[in-house]
Amino acid sequence: MRNSVAGLVAATAVVLAAAPHAVLAQPARGAHPDFSGLYFPGGGRSQTPQQLPYTPAAKKLAMEYESHFTLDDDPGRFCIWPGMPRAVWGAPFTVEIQQRPQDVSIYWEGYGMYRKIYMADHNPPKPVLPSAMGLSVAHWDGDTLVVETTNLKPYPYMTRMATSSDAQVVERLHLEERDVKGEKQKFLVNQIVLTDPKVYTEPIKITATLQSRPDLNLLEYTCTDTLWEDYLSQRGLTLPDLDALPSTGR
Amino acid sequence: MSKRFALIAAVCALTALTAAAHHSFAIYDMTQNIEFEGLVGVVKLRNPHMAMTLVETKADGSKATINFVEGAPANMIVHLGLNPDDIAPGKKIKAIGAPRRDNPAEFFLKAVILPDGQKFSVIN
Repeated sequence: MRNSVAGLVAATAVVLAAAPHAVLAQPARGAHPDFSGLYFPGGGRSQTPQQLPYTPAAKKLAMEYESHFTLDDDPGRFCIWPGMPRAVWGAPFTVEIQQRPQDVSIYWEGYGMYRKIYMADHNPPKPVLPSAMGLSVAHWDGDTLVVETTNLKPYPYMTRMATSSDAQVVERLHLEERDVKGEKQKFLVNQIVLTDPKVYTEPIKITATLQSRPDLNLLEYTCTDTLWEDYLSQRGLTLPDLDALPSTGR
Repeated sequence: MSKRFALIAAVCALTALTAAAHHSFAIYDMTQNIEFEGLVGVVKLRNPHMAMTLVETKADGSKATINFVEGAPANMIVHLGLNPDDIAPGKKIKAIGAPRRDNPAEFFLKAVILPDGQKFSVIN
């Protein structure tokens, strides 16, 4: 059955990948493309090299990790943000982008993640604490938004694309229009280069695509309450059921 | 948006669940599709994975509780169009599960089928 899903998925990916596409119409002189809108992961993803190019020392850590950690030990299960660059192709939920002259805000429904990209020509802040999304500063190269992200905190989960605090991410984002089954659809294509000389011997190039989906909405996603309930359950405690109380009608 | 495109979008959603689930599905035997029918017991519509029990009444009148320890994230259930009221405690539904390899008494909830035949599949 998984194969049938994989087959359907592969067929869809082929349809999307084979669809003719073109960069969207040029904006007025001096204006930049507006990425604002609702999106959903779709339109394909690729990675080069496919096998993570671990340094020998990182490879040793990865092998040790896999020998001790089980499939149940996944950080996502404990509501840990994938962070950059994994968030770009991560959870299968709605993504909302809001663009202003001074910054671009990205909200991911999955994990309730958010990210701020500051424009270099609008006095971006200095880095403070290392974080899952890091500090992202961007500039325009024609109709392509070039984003450089540093100040990332380590993501030491070796079954995902682990990164150290030396990791740097450069993204090139542009809009494309693709013909999908006879309909023009808008896609936001993100060409990512991850460099992390402590963990990888060469840059990892990833292309991830978001599909414009103005028909979707962005729901609240909470996750840590599950961890809280599990913790209480282990202590033999149950939270009071307020909904079971009689209503006063006022 | 055409219905056909909506279908493609739904397929993409399933792709994403397969590719970006919070952990590997390898702990479950996803080749199995075991169908149960009964009344919803406890349902926890939560993230990163929902959970549910289903109370089955066997032919001899005895009852068995089926434990779906994991399913799709609650948000994905909503995006798929399943109304939470349709799987509220006491509702009669069919559910398709894949057993855990190390504990066949626990299941991953692969699909819900409502009495009118509507099927909501997280993964086929």
